[in-house]
Parts: sequence; structure tokens; C-alpha cells
Amino acid sequence: MNDVKTDAARQQPVGELRPDAVAGPLAGSRRRLWGIATLVTLPILLGMALFWAPEDANQGAAQRIFYIHVPSAWIGFLAFFVVFVGSIAFLATGKRKWDDVASSSAEVGVVFTTAVLVTGPLWGRPVWGVYWTWDPRLTSFLMLWLIYLSYIVLRGYVPEPIRRARFSAVLGIVGFLDVPIVYLSARWWRSEHPTNFVVDRGDLPPEMLATLIVGLVTFTFLYLYLLSVRRSIARLRAQRELEEVAR
Amino acid sequence: MNVLSPAFAIAGKDLRLELKTRDVVASVGLFVLLVVVTASFSFPTGGEGREGVAAGVLWMAFLFAALLGMGRSMAVEKEDACLEGLLVSPAPREAVFLGKLFANLGFTFAVELVILPVFVVLLQLRPGGGTWLVVLGTFLGTLGLVTVGTLFAAMAVNTRGREAILPLLVMPVSVPAMVAAVKVSEAGFSGGMADGTLSWLLLLVGYDALFLLVALATFPYVTEE
Repeated sequence: MNDVKTDAARQQPVGELRPDAVAGPLAGSRRRLWGIATLVTLPILLGMALFWAPEDANQGAAQRIFYIHVPSAWIGFLAFFVVFVGSIAFLATGKRKWDDVASSSAEVGVVFTTAVLVTGPLWGRPVWGVYWTWDPRLTSFLMLWLIYLSYIVLRGYVPEPIRRARFSAVLGIVGFLDVPIVYLSARWWRSEHPTNFVVDRGDLPPEMLATLIVGLVTFTFLYLYLLSVRRSIARLRAQRELEEVAR
Repeated sequence: MNVLSPAFAIAGKDLRLELKTRDVVASVGLFVLLVVVTASFSFPTGGEGREGVAAGVLWMAFLFAALLGMGRSMAVEKEDACLEGLLVSPAPREAVFLGKLFANLGFTFAVELVILPVFVVLLQLRPGGGTWLVVLGTFLGTLGLVTVGTLFAAMAVNTRGREAILPLLVMPVSVPAMVAAVKVSEAGFSGGMADGTLSWLLLLVGYDALFLLVALATFPYVTEE
């Protein structure tokens, strides 16, 4: 990453605008590590999910989407929690690094949340008979997805980097604090309709549980890899903005 | 420095300006009346279970009223760098936020005060003993919407999208407050507390308190130059 630094940028350290020195050579090798880890675990996950895990007695093959769906949901939550922490850290320290972490994680989180919202109905149609139902979990994920889409749209509307970072940090904090309230309200909202489609599946057979855990690990590697790639793009963008200021 | 007295001064300035021009209340009031009338034609508003539909229509109208009013009230501050003037004044940032919050609440309540009776008559509702619940729900729901909205309006006015971006920020985050307010209003229109109304009231109180604190804590960052 260091080789893209130009003379103009070096001569004009504009305070908070300066991209962090964290983008050292180590960041690249860590990214490669996450990438390789994903490449190794992903085929294992696919093999386990498609062939090794037993077929669900009631749901049939459709249940296997569970091994992609649940890890995506987990990464969605993790990513938005990282946005929340990064946002607080940015407001507290004013360091651009934290804005890069928060905004990168928000974009990756939206990708995984989209995967949740796509794989969920694909499974819901054969198993529940409907693509969509206003179950609290589904409703919460839809709202989560909308909140962080608005986060991305907001960033596109603020050209000044520091102001963009501040505004999106505020939304990153408000949005995450809203999540439990959304879940609670979605739960109560549907409480008068007792048709709870999501069956409590009780104890998973060990093969299913193992596959799920491998799924969670694989997706965590994938998240870390994508976050790292996205952060390096953020750093390049910061570099370019800095050069524009210097010009 | 005392926070409340400059806050009241800022709110008083906005309200005096509004009394002279009647810009916000006139345009927003008419707009909301139009929303209510149009919705009455678009939804099945008579017959059984009309209280639920009515509460939904009412809160869509209130949401639009609050969004329009807050956008306007911040846009006015943008003219001739009034906002910068407020920010360089010795008033603490929290006071600026509270001042705009009080003013926005004033505008929105004024519109709601006019619309609510008209709405009850037009949709043939008989709240009777539930009137207090409708009023309480309106107060708590509006407080939540306007708290989040005032914070986001200060952001939206400084983006390229101006007022256009405000609804995109407010609507997803305010969904729980909207759901709770609709449920409370529905119970009110039906004559009084129903099963779960107390929980919805508590959710509204919690939402209002949480986001009032968050807004007070983050508003100084939003307005920093």
C-alpha cells in the first residue's frame, strides 16, 4: 500500500485526513492469510453441508441452505457491531482509521444481510409455503438491511471526508442501538398472531452442529478477508482525497 | 452555562418567526390534511376494525408532517449562515439541539392539534374514554420521531441531498416508535387500554429516553466544523 503515496500527499499532512500508517506491509500479509483460510475452509464447508450432514427428515434438502443462511446472519450482526464500535471509536478519537473500519464493515455487512434475505425466502417457500412472513427475526433483518443501506446512501451524499465520517458514525451508533428495539417491537407486533412458523428445532444432530460451526468459522474468515480488502480500498480513496486537497 | 435558557431562546425565536410567517404550519398542515383525505379514499376506512386502519393512516400523516417541518426548520438555519451563528454563540451545543427540538415539537404538535379532531370526525371514530390514550400516544410517538429527526435534520441539511435525504435516515430507525404509536392510537380509538398497550407505552418511553440521550451526546459531533 505504501508505494501509492505521492509526493503531494507527503508534503501536505492535513491532520485527520492523513490515512493511517497501519496500512503497512503486515496488513497485506494478514489479508492473504484470511484469504487462504477462506479458500481452505470453503470447500470443506460445501462438502460437509452438501454430502456429510444428514438430510433433515421433514425439510429435505432445502434445509441445507441453513449452513449458508445462519453464518450469513451471524456475520451480518458481527459486521454491524463492528460498525457500532468503529463509529464510537471514530467520534472519540477522530482517527480516520476507525471511519475506514466502520464504513468497510457496513458495506460487507449489507452484502451478508442481503444473502440472508435472499437465502431465507428460498428456504421458506418449500418449508413454510411462503417466501416471506413478518416473523420477528425476518422483520428485524429487513429493518437492519434498510438502516445500513441508508448508511451507505448517506455516505454518498457527503463529499467532505471528515463530515462524512462524523455523520455516518452517528447513524452507525443510532442504527445499532435501534436493533434490539426493532426486534422487541416486531415480536410484540405479531404476538396476536400465534402462527410462529419458525419451529424450534431443539438439539441438532452432531453432524449438523459440526457443519454449522464450520460454516460460522468459514464465514468469519470470509468476513475478515472482505473487510481487509474493503479497508485497503478505503485507504486508497483517502489517499486520492488527500491528493485532491493538496492540489 | 445553563442549557435550558438558551434552548428556550432558540425555540422562542423559531416560534416567533413561525407566528409571523406561518410558513411551516400552513404548508405542512395543508399537506397533512391532503394526506388524510387521500388516504381516506385509498384505504377501507369505514366499518369493522377501522380503528387499526385509522391509526396507521394517522401516523403516516404525522410522520410526513414531522419530516417536512423538521426539514424546513433546519433549512431556514442554513440561509445566511444562521446555524453557524448559533454554533459560535456561547450557547452549548446541547442547548442548540434542545432549542431546535422544542421548536420542531411545537410545529408538529400544532399541526397534530388541528389534524387530530378533523381526522376523528372524517373517519367516524369514537375514542370516548380512550381520548387520553390517543393524546398520550401522539405525544410520546411525536417526541420519539422528532428527537431522531432533529438530530438527522442537522446532518441532512449539510449533505448534497439536503431535505431529500432526511426521510431515508429517519424512517428505518423510527419504525419501532411508529409501530408502538400506531398500536397505542388504535387502542385509544377503540375506547381504552387493550392487551399489551402498557408494553407499547413503555417501549415508547424507552425509545424516547434512549434516543434523547444519544442525540444529546452525538449532536455536538454533527455540528462540529
